[in-house]
Amino acid sequence: MLEDLVVGLAGSGGDGVVSAGESLLGAASSQGFYAIMTKSFGSQIRGGESSCRVRLSTAKVLNPGGVLDVAVALNWEDFRRFGAELPIGPDTVLIHEAKAGAPPTDLAPPGQLAKEIRAVPLSELAKSAAGTDRAKTSVVLGVLSGWFGVPREALERGLEKKFAKKAEGLLEANRKALAAGLAFAIENPLARPRALARPAAPSPKLLCDGNEMCASAAIFSGCEFFGGYPITPSTEVMQILSRELPKYGGVVLQAEDEISGVGAAVGASFAGKKSMTATSGPGMSLKTEMLGLASLAEFPLVLLNVQRGGPSTGLPTKPEQSDLFQAAFSAHGDVLRPVLAPTSVEDTFSLTVEAFNLAERYQTPVIILSDQEIAQRKETVDPIDVSRFELVERLRPTEEQLAQGYERFADTPTGVSPISHPGMKGGNYLAAGIEHDRKGAPTASGSVHAAMNAKRFRKLDPLQDRADLFQHEGPQDAPLALVSWGSSAGVAREAYTRARARGLPVKLLVPFLLYPVAEPVYRAFFASVRRGLVLELSHQGQLYRVLRMFVDVPAGVTSFARSGAQPFRTDEVVARLQAQAEGL
Amino acid sequence: MGPTVGIDIERLTLRDALDLAVLVEEEARDRYREFAEQLAAHDTPEVADFFARMARIEDRHRAELLERRRTLFGDAPSTVERKHLFDVEAPGYDGARAFMGVRQALETVLAAEVKAHDFFDEALPRVKDPELRAFFQELRDEEVHHQLLVKAELARCPEKTDDSEAYADDPVAQ
Amino acid sequence: MESFLAPADYKSPLKPIWCPGCGDFGVVQALYRALSAVGRSPHEIAFISGIGCSSRIPGYTTAYGFNTVHGRALPIAQGVKLASPDLLVVVAGGDGDGFSIGGGHVPHVIRRNVDLTYLVMDNQVYGLTKGQLSPTAARGLKTVTSPYGSLEQPINPLLTVLAYGAGFVAQATPADMPGMTTLIEQALRYPGFSFVNIQSPCVTFGQEEQQLRAHKERMKPLASMGHDPANQLAALDLARAYGTELYTGVFYRNPDPPPTYDALIRERQAELQRGEPRPRARVLEAYLRS
Repeated sequence: MLEDLVVGLAGSGGDGVVSAGESLLGAASSQGFYAIMTKSFGSQIRGGESSCRVRLSTAKVLNPGGVLDVAVALNWEDFRRFGAELPIGPDTVLIHEAKAGAPPTDLAPPGQLAKEIRAVPLSELAKSAAGTDRAKTSVVLGVLSGWFGVPREALERGLEKKFAKKAEGLLEANRKALAAGLAFAIENPLARPRALARPAAPSPKLLCDGNEMCASAAIFSGCEFFGGYPITPSTEVMQILSRELPKYGGVVLQAEDEISGVGAAVGASFAGKKSMTATSGPGMSLKTEMLGLASLAEFPLVLLNVQRGGPSTGLPTKPEQSDLFQAAFSAHGDVLRPVLAPTSVEDTFSLTVEAFNLAERYQTPVIILSDQEIAQRKETVDPIDVSRFELVERLRPTEEQLAQGYERFADTPTGVSPISHPGMKGGNYLAAGIEHDRKGAPTASGSVHAAMNAKRFRKLDPLQDRADLFQHEGPQDAPLALVSWGSSAGVAREAYTRARARGLPVKLLVPFLLYPVAEPVYRAFFASVRRGLVLELSHQGQLYRVLRMFVDVPAGVTSFARSGAQPFRTDEVVARLQAQAEGL
Repeated sequence: MGPTVGIDIERLTLRDALDLAVLVEEEARDRYREFAEQLAAHDTPEVADFFARMARIEDRHRAELLERRRTLFGDAPSTVERKHLFDVEAPGYDGARAFMGVRQALETVLAAEVKAHDFFDEALPRVKDPELRAFFQELRDEEVHHQLLVKAELARCPEKTDDSEAYADDPVAQ
Repeated sequence: MESFLAPADYKSPLKPIWCPGCGDFGVVQALYRALSAVGRSPHEIAFISGIGCSSRIPGYTTAYGFNTVHGRALPIAQGVKLASPDLLVVVAGGDGDGFSIGGGHVPHVIRRNVDLTYLVMDNQVYGLTKGQLSPTAARGLKTVTSPYGSLEQPINPLLTVLAYGAGFVAQATPADMPGMTTLIEQALRYPGFSFVNIQSPCVTFGQEEQQLRAHKERMKPLASMGHDPANQLAALDLARAYGTELYTGVFYRNPDPPPTYDALIRERQAELQRGEPRPRARVLEAYLRS
C-alpha cells in the first residue's frame, strides 16, 4: 500500500485539467489525506497548455514532490512543454490518451522512461458515456479511482462542486464518464498494483492556498485597511479582503498604482489603523520610497511580497526566491526592517500574525517574503488553534504623557516611543520623511540624526534573540548542516529526514526571520558545523550571501542555489548532502 | 474690497471704533514681529532690529488706545474681532525681503502708514456721529504724523541702495 | 460648530523656512483664519503634504501633520481619510509636487470624490531645489533647466481638475487676503473633493511679473464678472485663460454635491455588517473541509 502518491496531469486549457486536479484534491482531503496541489500554465489567459500536480499522503505533505508516481498526458505536445516540472522516471505509471499514440522517444533520458505505460481511450470513453469528448478528465478521475484506490464517492463530490451550477445534465453526464473510467481501470488492472493506503483517523482539515491564508490571518490580526494594486501572483489577497474586510468595518482600496496603494496604507497607519499591502517583486520596486518613509516616520505597516521570477517583469507565474536582497536592503539610507518568510500554506498564517505583531510592536514596516508556489498551491492544513496567538497593539501615549508635553519620537531606552494618531487630543505632532528631533520638528543636525538612527535600529535589537522564529532539527553537535527558507524549506525538511534515515550526521535550520540576521542563533547553529548546504531558489543564493555578511559561515558550507521555476527535488538534495558528508 | 470684512462703518459706535483701532495696532505689531523673526532667521539683523522696534512702537499705540477704551467703556465685551481685519495697518507679507536694507524697510512702513491713513480717510464720509468722526480724524491725522516721521528717517537714510544682497551667498537647494 | 478656537490656536511654534516675502506666508495666515472659522479642533485635523517649500506648511500648524514624499500626498491623504473618515483632511503642495510627479494621482482622487481639500501653491517654479522649470511655467520661460527657454506648453491645473469632475474649484492669491481666506473656508466646508489653486509667488526664483504687486493689478474676481459658479461649462471656458488671466474666486461649485467616497464606503460597510459576518477569530472556518 502506498502512503504517498504524486499525480501529474497535463493537457490544454480547454480540457479542464486543473479542475480534475481540484476534484482529486478535494476528494483526498475529504478522505483525511494530506495533500498539496500546484498548477502550471502557458502564457495564454485561456486555452494554453495547462497542468497540475497533486501529492496525497497519509502523513503531512512537506512539498509538491519530485518525480511523478502517476503522469497523465492528454496529449504529448502540452505534456512536453512542462518539461522538468513534470518529471517521469522508471517507476512512473504513464497514462496517456490512446489517440495520442506512443510517447515520444525523448520524453525522458535514456533508461529513465516509465516502465508502465498505459494508453487509455479517454476521448472514446467520454463520448460514449457523456456524449462529449470534453468529459475526458472525468474519465481520468475514474481511472485514478480504479487504479489507485481514490474513493469514487469522494471524487463524485468534486464533480458536484464543478458542475452543480452549470447546465443541467452535465453533472450526470460526467458521473457516467467517471464510472466508465473506473470500469476501464477495473477491467484492465495495472501490472503492479498501486493502491493508496487509507489515512488512520481522518479528521477535518482546512484546504486553502497561501494567499487565502495570508488574507485570513490579516483579518484575524485586526487589519483594518488594505491598499494595493493587482499583480500576479498576489492579487487574490486583495480580492479576498475587498470582499471580507468591509464586513468588519475595514477598507480596501484598489489604488491607481502600486505607489498609491502602499501610500494609502501608510496614511491609514498614520491614522492609527493596522494596515497592509500585497504585491510581487515589480511592485516592491515601486514601493521602495514609501518603505523608507514608513521606516523614518516609524509607522507600522505589513507588506506581503509574493516573489516571482525576476528581475523586472521576469516570470510572473513561477516561484523564485530572489527578492531577499531587496527586502532587506532596498530604500536608500540606513534602514532596518524585519523580513519574515513562510515556508508553507500552514505557517503563512502564524507568520502573517507575527508580521502584524512585529509591525505594531516596533513601529516599522515588516515584509512577508512568500513566493508563488506557497501563495498559489492548495494545501491541506490541520485546523489551527488561533487562541494561542497574542495580538499586539501599538504603544499609545497615556493620558499623562499627552498632558505633559507629548514627544512622538522620545528617545526611550527600548527605542520604541509611544505613537499617537489624528483624533487623539494632545498627541498632535508632525510626521515626516525628513529627519526630525524628538518632537518631530525637521532637523539637519548630525548628532540628532545619529541619535535617531540609533533609536530606529535599537528598537529592533530584541529580534537578535528570537530563536523561536527558527526551526532547528537534529543534534546540537552535528557537523553537517542544511539551511533553507521559503518554499525550498519544504524540500529541505524531507531531504533532512531521508538523510538522517541514511545515517548522515545532519542538522536542519529553517529561518522564518530572515532579516535582521539573528547572529546569536546562527553562531550557535554553525558552531559544530564543518560542511553543509544553504538551499534556495535564486541565481545568486541570496540568503547565503546575506548570512556571510553578518555571520562566520563555515567555509565548508556552500550555496546550493539556482534560478527559479526549477524547484528542488528531495533526491538531489539528499545526494548533495551525501557528497558533502563524504568530505567530513 | 477693503481691508476689513464684516464691519459696517456706518453702524460703528465709538466703543467699536476704539476696539477696531486697538486691533489695527495689534495686527500691525504682530506683523512687524513676524518680519523681525523672518529677517533674523535670514541673516538680515539690522532690519530685523528695525522691525522689532516698529513692533514695540505699534504695541505702545495699542496700549494707549486700549487705555482710552478701558477708561470710557471698561471691560464691556467687544464686537470687533481680529477676523474682521485684513492688514489695515499691517504691511503685506510682500513687504519683507531677505537682505533688505533699512531704506527698503522704511518704504514698507511708509506704505503701511499710507494704507492706514487711506482706510480712516475713506471711512470718514460714512461716519455720521460727531464724536466718532472726531476720533477717526484723529486716527487719520496720527497716520499723517507717522508718515512724516518715516519720511524724515528716509531722508536721513543714505541714498545709495543697500547692497547686502550682493555680498550674500547664492541660495541653497534643499 | 462655530469656533471658540482662534486663528492663533492653529499656529505652531515652528518658524517657517520660507524666504521673507514668500506668498506662502499669506496662505498659512489665511489657513489659520479659515480653520478657525470652520472650528475643527487641531487634533481632529490631518494635514498632509508632499515635498517642496509649500509642503512645509503642515509643520507650521498645530494639526496632526504629515510631510510625506514628493508627489504622494494625495494617495497618503486618501488612506488617512478612508481609515478615519471623521477627520478633517487637508492636503497641500506645490505645482510640481501636484502636477508633475504627483499628476498620476490627481484624476483618481477626484473621480473617487474623497472628501478632502487640496491646496496647491502654484508659483510656476521649483523653489526648494533652486529654480528649475515647473509644469505650470509658460512656454519660453528661461530657468536653470531651460536656459534657452522652455519648449513645453504648461499644464493647466484649473482645466485639469475641472475636467476630471471636481466639485469645487477655485483660484486665489495672497494679494487678496480676505478673498483667499473665504475661498479656503468654502473649500474646507465643501462636502467632497475641493481644490484651490493659489498663485503664491516665489520671491527668490519667480518671475518679476508674477510677484504679488503684479497680482494686485492683474487679478479679476470672477464674482464681479457675473460668473455663475454652478455653470461647469462656463467654468471650463474661463479656466482656459490660465496663464494669461488671473481670475480669482470660485470657478465651479457643484450645486448638488454627489456622495463622497468615504460616505459610500460607510454605507456599504453598514449594509455588510448587518449580515452578521463571522467573527474575525473564526475566519479560517471558511476553509474547513470535512
